[in-house]
Amino acid sequence: MFITDIRKEFYEVVANQRVALLVASDIDALCACKILQALFHCDQVQYTLVPVTGWQDLSTAFLEHKEQFKYFVLINCGANVDLLEMLQPDDDSVFFICDTHRPVDVVNVYNDTQIKLLIKQDDDLGVPSYDDIFRDEEEEGDDSGNESDEGSEPSGKRRRFDEGAIERRIDRQRAKREWEARRREILFEYEQYEYHGTAASMMFFELAWVLTKDTKDMLWWAVIGLTDQWVHDKITRMKYITDIATMQRHVSRHNHRNEDEENSLSIDCMRISFEYDLRLSLYQHWSLYESICNSCYTSCNFKLWTLNGQKKLQEFLADMGLPLKQVRQKFNSMDMSIKENLRDVIAESSMKYGMKDIRIQTFGVHFGFKNRFLASDMVHATTALLESTEKDESDGDNFIKALDSLSRSNLECLHAGIDQAKKKLMAIQQTVASCICTNLILSQGPFLYCYLMEGTPDVKLFSKPMALALLSKYLLKAFVHSTRNKRCKLLPLIMAAPKDVEKGTVIVVGIPPESETSDKKNFFGRAFEKAAESTSSRTLHDHFDTSIIELKTEDRSKFLDALITLLS
Amino acid sequence: MPTKNVTDERLGKFKNKGKDPAKLREKRISECVELRKAHKNESFMKRRNVTLSSLPDEDALSPDYSTDAVSVYSIEDIIKDVNDHNKEAQTRGCQAARKLLSQESNPPLKEIIDAGLLSRFVSFLGMNDEPTLQFEAAWALTNIASGTSWHTQQVVESGAVPAFISLLASPMLHISEQAVWALGNIAGDGSASRDILIECNVIPALLARISPDTPVGYLRNLTWTLSNLCRNKNPCPPLSAVLQMLPSLIQLLHLSDKDILSDACWAISYLSDGENERIDVVVKTGIVPRLVELMGHRELSVMTPALRSIGNIVSGSDQQTQAAIDAGVLNILPQVMRHPKASVQKEAAWALSNIAAGPCKQIQQLITCGLLPPLVEQLRNGDFKTQREAVWAVTNFTSGGTVEQVVSLVQSGALEAIINLLQVKDSKVILVILDAVNNVFMAAEKLGEMDKLSLLVEELGGLDRIEMLQNHDNEMIYRAAHNLIEKYFCGNEVEEVKVDSTEDAFEFRTADVPRTFEF
Repeated sequence: MFITDIRKEFYEVVANQRVALLVASDIDALCACKILQALFHCDQVQYTLVPVTGWQDLSTAFLEHKEQFKYFVLINCGANVDLLEMLQPDDDSVFFICDTHRPVDVVNVYNDTQIKLLIKQDDDLGVPSYDDIFRDEEEEGDDSGNESDEGSEPSGKRRRFDEGAIERRIDRQRAKREWEARRREILFEYEQYEYHGTAASMMFFELAWVLTKDTKDMLWWAVIGLTDQWVHDKITRMKYITDIATMQRHVSRHNHRNEDEENSLSIDCMRISFEYDLRLSLYQHWSLYESICNSCYTSCNFKLWTLNGQKKLQEFLADMGLPLKQVRQKFNSMDMSIKENLRDVIAESSMKYGMKDIRIQTFGVHFGFKNRFLASDMVHATTALLESTEKDESDGDNFIKALDSLSRSNLECLHAGIDQAKKKLMAIQQTVASCICTNLILSQGPFLYCYLMEGTPDVKLFSKPMALALLSKYLLKAFVHSTRNKRCKLLPLIMAAPKDVEKGTVIVVGIPPESETSDKKNFFGRAFEKAAESTSSRTLHDHFDTSIIELKTEDRSKFLDALITLLS
Repeated sequence: MPTKNVTDERLGKFKNKGKDPAKLREKRISECVELRKAHKNESFMKRRNVTLSSLPDEDALSPDYSTDAVSVYSIEDIIKDVNDHNKEAQTRGCQAARKLLSQESNPPLKEIIDAGLLSRFVSFLGMNDEPTLQFEAAWALTNIASGTSWHTQQVVESGAVPAFISLLASPMLHISEQAVWALGNIAGDGSASRDILIECNVIPALLARISPDTPVGYLRNLTWTLSNLCRNKNPCPPLSAVLQMLPSLIQLLHLSDKDILSDACWAISYLSDGENERIDVVVKTGIVPRLVELMGHRELSVMTPALRSIGNIVSGSDQQTQAAIDAGVLNILPQVMRHPKASVQKEAAWALSNIAAGPCKQIQQLITCGLLPPLVEQLRNGDFKTQREAVWAVTNFTSGGTVEQVVSLVQSGALEAIINLLQVKDSKVILVILDAVNNVFMAAEKLGEMDKLSLLVEELGGLDRIEMLQNHDNEMIYRAAHNLIEKYFCGNEVEEVKVDSTEDAFEFRTADVPRTFEF
């Protein structure tokens, strides 16, 4: 069931209990977790934090903790399956689910005792009404009576009903069949597309606010969570702008509160500010030139993988009147005079090059005097740490590192993340360029398909779901900019990359078509399930996003064939 | 929604009976129902239109008592009216009782019996000058007899049997048909009630109603009643009764109505389910070719009992089985084996296993008619019950077939398939498979191809499985597995077997089965 009063129905319930926090591996979940941890610290709530990377992980974590815990908080996992069916918990386990995955499973919505959804009801949920999908069992029982299985032995005795009764029965049966057909239709409609709702971190920030325990740190985490949804293309532009506006109200409130205090000038102060800043990844921690080259928006618009594109970039820089020497050196070392109104200069020239959306509403933060970060910087850095492939560290270690990088006491960690993020962005850019230049994107009819071969540079990086999803998004954007085939511009993309060479598996990601007005609804989850079922391909649907699966390498072609038939 | 209408209707009756608004509403509702019937319920209408039954719609039966009246009619009122001397009151009470007994949920069977109304109803059956009363009473008794065995017993003990048999001769078809129905319910109660009916000479009275003019609906009821008279064992119906009924059943089996065909086939399946002498009676009527034909009927409700009948017949003597084979059962069986419904597959596999238990001439016919491929398919992919029958077919085949026949069985892939089945849980099935493997080895022994077969079984993973089975809890399985290992896999493991030499005419190979098992 949906919780309406998050304080009474959630926080006050768990406040004096021991709680198991099961947290998915994405940045929004980490941020939500940070906020909740901070609240729990305040109120001395005992909790155990368990990172979970997929459904199997979640089941194991539950089994390991179900004896000691009654209350489970699931962050960014659990809403889109019938959780009770999957975990088979005892009657007294209670699950609080704060998850952006949509659609929410109907059983979760209508279970009143064990499933508590920390999900805003004003989100565009479209849950079918109870009467449309559930029916009291009792009513169904006697219906089948006379119409026994065809071909079975006839009954030894038969009662004669009056005509009216037979008619009524037939009417009822027909109504039931119609109802069932309608139910199937409604559920199909409802479950057809996967998409994301309001960030979990925003939900928990709201909780903190309701409790009047919200701090600037929490606010910043909520901002990062929201930005993660934007960077990883989980929500529409509209939704992003709306939520940014919500956050901005909180930011103003906080800034106002501390306006006249000394605080704002101290060395360890923290200041969050609304920015209308450039969509250039990490540019304040890089050189402007490299940032332009490795940002999706600019790279695609210039088509930097072509000679012509490179030429255009030079023209663009010349147009702005920025000397190459300045542009290529570290942003921090650029002349103050250039930096002063850099954003306006870039925005102005961008307009001429058809990049009217070079700026976007976002937030920045100052830690003390020296450190300044944009929300998207944080997202890239933390993601890089979370999916780090540099050392052979476990998912758990990466999780902790990523979580730590969100604390402002751990700037070192954050900077390490920024370095890794730069490498990752460059790898993505190079891979995009090589895929486009060597025509690796194939049109399969109903969708585009790209397979990264074993041995491609940085292929290990793309065995991770978020990295592969980001690559897919950049690649699809680049493809849409480079192809002349109008039909292909409207197609979704499936990307596959080697996951585990020893086990012979690939990771497969499906993303919706690229367009300005895209609703970001993804139908690949259902399609993957169906295709796997019909071909009995050996697949693993373990990821919380159903549009990300693992597949045996040998089964790839039959799986794809089935998908093509299914979607054509 | 219709359900809503029904509840509304009921509410209306309870709360506002006699009040105008409620009545108006009810009328509106019934008009609604009419409209819906008119355009939505086409298929049902069709069925009703072609029903040539003599049973009229209830509304047309008798003077109309409004529906309100019935629903407030209490058992007490019914008792009073039924015991009244006035014919009209009796009719009214009887109809009210019948309506209560015809309602869908919780018909008051016991209440009516406890009220002592059965003997009154039975006496009404004899009132030839009161057809409405006769009909209502017959219907009420029919529904009481449709209850549990106890209910039926009460009807029998109230003397209904002779009364109904006399009623069969009624000139009013719908009354006669209701009597047929009631007798069917009594016959369906079990051997004892059935034999009481037969003692009372129900059969000639029933058969007398079959004529070229009899409506289809009437014939359906009658066929069903006949099938109930053939039904139940311990004891089975007297031979004389069977002989009386068979010619008419054969006649009915040549009609085309699917309901009649279905019940007639079920009747035959009951009659053929027994001793060989019983089967003989059926086979001698010459109906077997028609049954084989009906095995291919597109209606599941016809093909199932036809298949069951044939299955019964091939479980009889070799001559009886041969009669089925001569009628072409082996030509149609492959398609039936591949029927989408698992229960049909199982039944077909069962029939096949019985044919495979016959002499080698019949086994040869089985091979010639192409039954091995569907058999192997079922061994591989059938559901478990089908697989069990298929395994029996293989074992029967290997124990009765010639060496050549066993070789072709192995070549068809059956050996591989049963070896794969050695991992099932069912001990009986495992034993039957081990038996089959042993039989195949005995055939190989006669050919002097034992080593080659040992190698093949090993390649198919059979040796590993059989070795595992030596650890089985079941003593018999352990012994059978142990014996196989002892006899065919011991000692000469080191000896090299010449696989390539084809000195003999027969070579054990799985012809078109790939030998690779890697993932």
